[in-house]
Amino acid sequence: MSVSGELIGKGLPLLDGLEKVAGKVVFTADLKLPGMLCARALRSPHAHARVREIDVSRAKKVTGVRAIVTGLDMSFPKYSVAGQPVLDERLLTREVRYIGDEVAVVAAVDDDAAAEALHAIRVEYEELPAVFDSLEAMAPGAPLVHGDQESNIPHKMEFSRGDVDRGFKESAVIVEESFRTPLQYHGYLEPHAAVAQWEAGEKVTLWIPMQSPTLGRITYSTALGVREDQVRIIQMPIGGAFGGKLEYKLHALCALISRVAGQPVKMVNTREEDFRAGLPRVPMRVRMKLGVRRDGTLAAKETEIVADSGAYVNYAHGILLSACHRHDNLYRIQNLRTKGFLVYTNKVATGCFRGFGNPQIHFAYESILDMAAAELNMDPVEFRLRNATQTGDITPHGWKVLSCGLSDCIRQSAQAADWGKKRRAERSGERFARGVGIACCLHVSGNRTFLPFFDGASSYIRINEQGRAIVFIGETDLGQGARTAFAQIAAHELSIAPEDVSVSMVDTDISPHGLGTFGDRATTLGGNAVRLAAIDAREKLFAIAATQLALAPGDLEVASGKIYSKAEPEKNLTVAEAAKLGWAQLAGGLITGHGVYFPPDVTMVDKKTKYGNISCAYPFAAQVAEVEVDRMTGRVKVISMVAAHDLGKAINPLLAEGQIQGAVAQGIGFALMEDMGLKDGKVRNCSFERYNMPRIKDMPPVKSILIESDDPNGPYGAKGLAEPALTPTAPAIANAIYHAVGARIRELPITPEKLLAALREKDGK
Amino acid sequence: MIDKVRITVNGFQWEGRVKPGQTLLEVLRDTMGLTGAKKGCDQGECGACVVLLNGRPVNSCLILAIDVDGDEVTTVEGLVGDEAGIIKEAFVQAGAVQCGFCSPGMILAVKALLDQSPDPAAEDVEEAISGHLCRCTGYSRIVQAVKQAAVKLNSMKGTEG
Repeated sequence: MSVSGELIGKGLPLLDGLEKVAGKVVFTADLKLPGMLCARALRSPHAHARVREIDVSRAKKVTGVRAIVTGLDMSFPKYSVAGQPVLDERLLTREVRYIGDEVAVVAAVDDDAAAEALHAIRVEYEELPAVFDSLEAMAPGAPLVHGDQESNIPHKMEFSRGDVDRGFKESAVIVEESFRTPLQYHGYLEPHAAVAQWEAGEKVTLWIPMQSPTLGRITYSTALGVREDQVRIIQMPIGGAFGGKLEYKLHALCALISRVAGQPVKMVNTREEDFRAGLPRVPMRVRMKLGVRRDGTLAAKETEIVADSGAYVNYAHGILLSACHRHDNLYRIQNLRTKGFLVYTNKVATGCFRGFGNPQIHFAYESILDMAAAELNMDPVEFRLRNATQTGDITPHGWKVLSCGLSDCIRQSAQAADWGKKRRAERSGERFARGVGIACCLHVSGNRTFLPFFDGASSYIRINEQGRAIVFIGETDLGQGARTAFAQIAAHELSIAPEDVSVSMVDTDISPHGLGTFGDRATTLGGNAVRLAAIDAREKLFAIAATQLALAPGDLEVASGKIYSKAEPEKNLTVAEAAKLGWAQLAGGLITGHGVYFPPDVTMVDKKTKYGNISCAYPFAAQVAEVEVDRMTGRVKVISMVAAHDLGKAINPLLAEGQIQGAVAQGIGFALMEDMGLKDGKVRNCSFERYNMPRIKDMPPVKSILIESDDPNGPYGAKGLAEPALTPTAPAIANAIYHAVGARIRELPITPEKLLAALREKDGK
Repeated sequence: MIDKVRITVNGFQWEGRVKPGQTLLEVLRDTMGLTGAKKGCDQGECGACVVLLNGRPVNSCLILAIDVDGDEVTTVEGLVGDEAGIIKEAFVQAGAVQCGFCSPGMILAVKALLDQSPDPAAEDVEEAISGHLCRCTGYSRIVQAVKQAAVKLNSMKGTEG
């Protein structure tokens, strides 16, 4: 290869880090446009009701009010998120389906006036029967959340592999258990926000912090009843996303009210609204039956998942599919039978959250594995090693595992946690008891299961006449440092300094229309696209240099910003000089490299059987938790976490470890602390005071171990990381608690109340 | 009713009218355009709006602008100079920043901490940051960054002294 950039594997700090810590980054809520109004949404106080009448006469008289739109003013088209076939939402509704559903939107000269106008709107509701429990919602005769649908089950799936009955017959141990996971709120520090402005009422520009401007543009144009190219999205810096900012209704509502008002409008959720009407993690009920042979090999598994979608589907269909079949590929197991149901209830609609269904199902799977290991009297580490998927495996779902560091993850995390010694340590009956537990997971690097369009990524790179590069790509930076990683890749291939590369924020009028950042796709797919674009640009620079130096392009190499002859290095010119020549030769056109990456051998899954290789690279992980349980109070303290992650290749170890640290914190919250408390469909803890997210004092030391399995499809071998880094945390903690005190908690979060009840039950036996 | 207040903000005198219910955060952001202070919750629970009031960190969303008449306020925009630069640089180098939304408030809290105790123990750092939520980093890098900044600041002061 004709490069010597040597940047891959370097722990460069965020290139935009100083701007961030200096408070100079302009977030959406900081934006001001001339004549800009503030808008607020009126949200339903009822879980299920028909909107009979809306009286806005008093609200219109509030000083400063400029526009009000209600669901009764016009008929809004039905829509859902991009590619989801059950259209079940409207921008403003005439039938509210959860406490928080939007019925009207008001724009005023300032936020106070908009808030005052909201109070002045009178809505007459006719209350309808509501259903809050997912199992009750599935029962015949349950109130329909969507009256125009036949049932409360918008999506279901069923598939099997191998011979499940025979597998259970071969089993020496069969464990059957039920598990539940809660509503978890993303807790990004920046609440949802948008700014909208229309040109001549024909084209709207939206400034929004979002993960997928392309998917959002498809959704919002449908919701607004306009063409896609009438919506331009300019991506703003994202103050934390974690799946919650893939796309969001507030963005389209902001466009709607801006069009009616004829002025630019800003809309920002209050924190309470963000709790009430965000898109939290899909709660799941899982029933799982696992059969294991005497030798410890997995024989058969039956799984049934009921996923609580809340009032609308959003992305929960994809999340359910992921929960139904992703974990089956973690260990070698041939006989599988799975049923999944997505169920509407009159609660906040749920959506994507780091892990996309995987943390929910892995809590069940990794817990039941430990229960089976206990019955077999096998060490959980040995048990997992015996069954771990290996490089070269083709799984029963058709996944082609081209690189797999799972066994290394298990071994190295166990070793770093001093597993053998701690596992064998005498369990005392004293008040404070310690235990260690392990859990594993896998993920994807881009996910071809639920989006019908394409998979892959595209990038172009423009070299300016000073030899500096601008990277354009559709994959967004959520704060994890994607822009830094992309700059690193481009600089590596072009052999220029990473500071001389800037990565443009997505602008749908300029950037490629990539799918965005989710499903751990940014580094692997986006990184490949940037790499190819940089190589293309480099070849164009070589062509110019070759003419200038009277050599053939194949005679050239580039290093330290210089293009030179391999045979006679004194014949050279700088990248900047070549770029300047290119600028002149192209009459100002500038050198542009183009990279298109399609992941090879990846297909959409079969609609019915769900069979298919859904990703080009599969990351794996194992985490070990050590906990201390207080038998008297039921409190659990996490003493330490070891997180070993097969990420293929750490393009930037500093940022990679940052993803692990942050994800483990969210995983600890999921395991022990976080639960949106609902009563009659109303979230009771809509504030950071009452919704308990980990603070600095809740965090144990987290040791991260990076396992580099060098995937053949990953750019420089790199696979995804940020999502699987959360997934094993909760089951590892649950398994450690069992090891400490012998109590098995099947419902997250593991609160002191649940643990005390389990300890009482156990001692009573 | 609208009242006039006089505040020293980042070393400059500011005089203007504020509404009785207006918070310091709103005046900083909306009136003065100092958007480095962030509105994360507006209830004093996340720390994203922290500024220094007479040198001490406060949640500016909990303070009425009318109550700071005659006081000195420092926002992240006013945190300039070598010492502040070392703290910011340490945050970036240690990977203590990801999305950056909580960072300005934390930087101010850390500045106040290091002004008070130049060689803080890990518990002091935890105490200073305990009112700040960060959902990206898991906090450990923040403790590292503060320690690295403290070492650099102390050696700088040592060479000066």
